[in-house]
Amino acid sequence: MKDPVLVQLLQEIDAAELTAALRCLRDEAHRRMDALFPSLPLDEYYRQLNGVHDALIRRTVALAEAELARSGMGSPPVPYAYLLFGSGGRKEQTLSSDQDSGIIYEDAHSDEETLAAQKFFTNLSARAVALLQEIGYPPCEGNVISSNPQWCQPESEWKRQLESWFETADWEAVRYLLIVADCRHIHGSGELLERLKRHYYSDMLAKPVIVQRMLDNTIRHKMLIGVFGQLLKEQYGEDAGSIDIKYGAYIPMVNAVRLMAVQSQLRPTSTLERLHALEQAEVVTAEEAAAYSEAFLFFLKLRMIATENNEDGMYMNNGKLANHHLTKEMTEELKQSLKVGKRLQRQVQKLTLGKLK
Amino acid sequence: MVKKMVLTMGAMILMFPAMAFADAPSTAMLNTGLNSLWVMLAAILVILMQGGFILLEAGSTRMKNAGHVAGKTIFTFGLGSLIYWAVGYGIAFGEDGNLLFGLGKFFYNPPILYGENAGLSDSVFFIFQLAFATISLSIAWGGFAERAKLSSYLIFTVVFVGVIYPVVAHWIWGGGWLAEDGAQDFAGSTVVHLSGAVAALAATILLKPRIGKFNKDGSSNQILGHNQVYTALAVLFLWVGWFGFNAGSTVAIETGFFGYVAFNTQIAAAAGAVAAMLISWALLGKSDITTMLNGGLAGLVAITASCAFVEPWAAVVIGLIAGVLVFFSQKFFEKLRIDDPIFALSVHGAAGVWGTLANGFFATPELAATAGVGKAGLFYGGGWGQLLVQLESVVVAGVFVFIVSFAVLYVIKKAIGFRVTEEQELIGLDLSEHGAYGYPEQMKKAQQNLNA
Repeated sequence: MKDPVLVQLLQEIDAAELTAALRCLRDEAHRRMDALFPSLPLDEYYRQLNGVHDALIRRTVALAEAELARSGMGSPPVPYAYLLFGSGGRKEQTLSSDQDSGIIYEDAHSDEETLAAQKFFTNLSARAVALLQEIGYPPCEGNVISSNPQWCQPESEWKRQLESWFETADWEAVRYLLIVADCRHIHGSGELLERLKRHYYSDMLAKPVIVQRMLDNTIRHKMLIGVFGQLLKEQYGEDAGSIDIKYGAYIPMVNAVRLMAVQSQLRPTSTLERLHALEQAEVVTAEEAAAYSEAFLFFLKLRMIATENNEDGMYMNNGKLANHHLTKEMTEELKQSLKVGKRLQRQVQKLTLGKLK
Repeated sequence: MVKKMVLTMGAMILMFPAMAFADAPSTAMLNTGLNSLWVMLAAILVILMQGGFILLEAGSTRMKNAGHVAGKTIFTFGLGSLIYWAVGYGIAFGEDGNLLFGLGKFFYNPPILYGENAGLSDSVFFIFQLAFATISLSIAWGGFAERAKLSSYLIFTVVFVGVIYPVVAHWIWGGGWLAEDGAQDFAGSTVVHLSGAVAALAATILLKPRIGKFNKDGSSNQILGHNQVYTALAVLFLWVGWFGFNAGSTVAIETGFFGYVAFNTQIAAAAGAVAAMLISWALLGKSDITTMLNGGLAGLVAITASCAFVEPWAAVVIGLIAGVLVFFSQKFFEKLRIDDPIFALSVHGAAGVWGTLANGFFATPELAATAGVGKAGLFYGGGWGQLLVQLESVVVAGVFVFIVSFAVLYVIKKAIGFRVTEEQELIGLDLSEHGAYGYPEQMKKAQQNLNA
C-alpha cells in the first residue's frame, strides 16, 4: 500500500463529506485499479481494491451516522459494529460487488433502551444501505443486508439466532451459518464480533454433525470441467459459449476452503489467508496450499475480466466469462486450475467424512 | 369344471364325429390366417405410434400451440389414409409399374377374403403399409412445428403420401431399382424415417427458425417444450409401437423370425437411450432428459433398417452409436442455425442414415440370406459392396425427397404463403388456425398477465 496515489485517494475518501464526492472517488479508484490490473500481482491488486472498498463503506457508514445525528436522532445509544459478509467479508470484492452487510450492537440494560437501540439501528442501516446504493453498491439479492432485521440485531439476539441455526441445521440455516463464517467487522467495535465468533466456534464444537450439513451445502456447486477435461460452457441464451467463473470455479473453491478453515477453527475470512492458515495448521501441505492458492488467484483474475455491466448506475457483474476473453493459454490454465479445484473438493470431502467417522 | 367340459366334448364327438375331422383348414390357410393376424396386430401398434407423435410433438412445443400440434396429427392421418388408398399404395406396390414407380391398385379394392396360399391378407398388408406412410408423414411435421399454416399441412400431405413417400417405398420395397441393387432397409430407416426427416429439413429451411430461437450474435436460445412428461410418455408409446414396426415387417410368423427382430430392436433402443444419457452427462456436466429420450428413439430408428440383418452385439453397437450421434447431430443443426423443434432431423435423419449404413458394416451372410436381400457387410467378409449400395440408397432417397419436398413447399410459400404471420405465431397457432386454445384456462391467464 505504498502507492502514493492510492494513499491520497484513501485520505480523500476518509475526508469526504458527501456521497456524491464518494461516488467520484470510487470512479477514480476504479480507473486507477483498471490501469493497475495488468501490472500488479493479483493478490496485491485485490488487497488494494478491497482497501478502497473498505474505506468507502466505512466512510459511508460514518456519514450515515452523522446524518442521523443531524436529523435529531442522536448518536448510537450503545457500541455497535457494521459487518460485511460475502465477498466483502472475504476481502474479495470485485469492481462490481453488491452489499452483503449486517449490524451487531451491544445489549441495552432495560426494555426501553432496547427498543430505542432497535429503532436507532433500523434507521442507521436504512440510511447506510441507501447511501451505499448512491455510491453504486447494489443491495444483496439474497437479502443478506443490514436493513433486513434478521441481520441487524443486539448481541444476545445474534447469539440466540446462531444457536437456533445450529439447532435447526436445515439447508437455509446452514447457508446462514456459512455466511456468518465469512463475517468481518468494518466499522465500530471489533470486540462485539470477536465475542460472536467465539460463540460460533464453541457452538460448532458442540455440534459436530453440522459439518456434514455444511459439506452438502459446500460441494453443491461443481467445478465446470467435464470428465474428458473439457470446459462446461453455457449452452443457450445471450451468454452461450461463456463459462460461469463465479459459480463454476470461484465459489466452489471459496466454499471448500471455508469449510476446511471452519472445521479447523481458523478465523481468517479471506480465502487466501485461510489457505495460508491451513498450511500453518498442517491441514494441507505446503505444495497443496501453493497449488490451491495459485488456482484461486487465477479464478480471481478471470472474475475481474468477466463481463461488467453498468446498470442504472450500479456496478454489476454476472460472473460469466465470455468466450472471446479466453486465449488458448488461458483456456489451458483454466482447465488445469479447475482440475486443482476438483482435487480440493475431493480433499474437503474426505477430510470432513473422515472426521465424522 | 374341467370334468364337465371333457364330458361334454366327449359326448359331442360321439354324436357328431364329423366335428373332429371334417373341414379342418389346410396348413397354408392357417398360416395365412396367423400371418394376417400378426400383421394386423403390428399395424395397430404402428398406428398407435401416431399417439406417440402427438405426445412427442405437443410435449416438445409450447402450450399455445398444443391443440394445433396434437389435433393436426389426427387430421393429416385421416387425409393421408385417403390419399394413400387412392394413389400412394398404387405407386408403391402397383404391379404394372417399372423400376421407378408402380402402377395399379389405385383406389384399392382388396379381395374380401384371402386365398388359401396368399400368405397374407391383402387388406391387412394395405393397412400395414398405410400405417408406415402416415408415420413418415408425421415425422415430416417436425420441421413444420409451431409456425406453418394449416393449409400447408393439407397440401403437403397430398403430395407426400401421394407421390414422394410411395416412390421411395417402391424403389426399396416395391421391386424398384434400389431393391434390384440389393438395398437392405428392413423396416424403413431410409424409406420411412429418412424420408420424413428430409422433408422436415426442407420445410424448416423454407420456414426459417421460430421467433426467438436464435440471437443476432449466432448463439441460440432453448425454447423448452411445455411438458416433458408427455415427451417421455411419447417415447414409450413409440418404443412399444416399434415392435409392430420392426417385428411386424417380417409380415410372417412361420419361422418365428419376428422374435429375433424384436429382440434386436429392444437392445438397440436401450443402448441408444443409455449412450445419449451418458454422452450428454459427460459433455454437458448434467445429463439432459431430452437428449436421453432422443437417444432411445435414435436407437430405434437406426435398428429399423438393420434389425433383421445383424447379430445382437452389432445391434447394441448400432444403438450406442445412434445415441451418441443424436447428441452431436442436435448440436450440429443448432450451429447451422437450423431450427429443429422436435429434433426430427437428428432422431430420424442422422440416425436413419446411420442405421441404413450400418447394414453395410454389420450384415451377416446368414441373415442376408434369410431376409433374401443383399449381401453380407464389410465386417462379415462381404467387402465394400453392400456398404456402397446402402450409401447409394441413402443418397438417392435423400436427394429425391429433398428436391421434391423443397419444390412443393417453395411453390406453397410463393403461392399462398407457408408461414403464419408474426402476430399469429406469437399468440399461438391454436388461436390463429383453430380459434381456441388447447389449454384455455392457462392461456387465458397468461394473456391476462400480458395485458396487466
